[in-house]
Amino acid sequence: MFARPALAETPIYRLVLENHVFSPSKLRIPPNTKVKIIIENKDETAEEFDSFDLNRERVIFAQREASIFIGPLPIGRYEFFGEYHPNSARGYVIVEEESL
Amino acid sequence: MNRICLLISLFLAFTFGMITKVSADGMVVDKVYHPYVTANEREFEWRFMSSQTDEFNLLTQRFGYGHAFWETVALEFYAIGTRNEQNDFELSGYEIETRWMMTQQGQYWADWGWVLELEKQDAKDNYEASLGLLFEKELGRTSLTLNLFAIREWGESIESEWESEFRLQYRYRYLPEIQPSIEIYAGEDFIGIGPGFMGVYRIEGQKQIKWDAGFITEIAHSGKNHTFRFAIEYEF
Repeated sequence: MFARPALAETPIYRLVLENHVFSPSKLRIPPNTKVKIIIENKDETAEEFDSFDLNRERVIFAQREASIFIGPLPIGRYEFFGEYHPNSARGYVIVEEESL
Repeated sequence: MNRICLLISLFLAFTFGMITKVSADGMVVDKVYHPYVTANEREFEWRFMSSQTDEFNLLTQRFGYGHAFWETVALEFYAIGTRNEQNDFELSGYEIETRWMMTQQGQYWADWGWVLELEKQDAKDNYEASLGLLFEKELGRTSLTLNLFAIREWGESIESEWESEFRLQYRYRYLPEIQPSIEIYAGEDFIGIGPGFMGVYRIEGQKQIKWDAGFITEIAHSGKNHTFRFAIEYEF
């Protein structure tokens, strides 16, 4: 997804939830860097972003945005899913050098 | 890491400073609180604590219902049962608890929260109010959680006094179902350490079962003093 400069130099990334599907399903971020992910829920129902790998849990109300902070993380693949629709709302945060 | 050591030292200094001024009259081993609230969360909780010394066994159970009414604030109500001197298990009190998530997880160097508890004994006008500062720091796949409580007791049949308690949990997030930890408790002339574990099993949607247990051995005095604590929560 698109990274852009943010306050306090925390890179910001965006995830969109629509029809209970996260887009992009693979979010690439740099290693050893704290980042902010803004999740926009375009659906008519709430969803809960959940990830044991990332140690994060956050409710995103319908038609609203919520943000989470993750990292600094080592290179790797971190799974996340929507707790209310775990079959369709799934994805990965990919931590890799190329995303710098 | 230096900041973490300093923080633990400050928490312990506060706790031991207070310990010298109080007498032992309660159970120090209890739940280690995490400074997080999940919006819309509702739960039923059963908490069990059994403390065995050379002379007696103290058993306490709590049955609670909790609800996150706001994005960062949750309320929980408990009925408390204890086993009395005649070995009868009876309803002994009620408690209301509120947790406040002060910072968003991961936004700052560490995560902070508060917990405020007010407990009333069932048959007497005895009260206990506790204010706890909650701290959690993520260190790779491990998490360090610290709780520092200032406690005030007063009522018709107990001496009014201030107390303090300190709880530490260092947890390895191995699998959702299995997260082993080391726990330390201090307060009321008690210092205990022991293993713990917690876990979560997802059923469907927001429905999940969480468990949390620990076996704590007192190390400040000679003689037997073991406490087993166990809690299970059904979230929906």
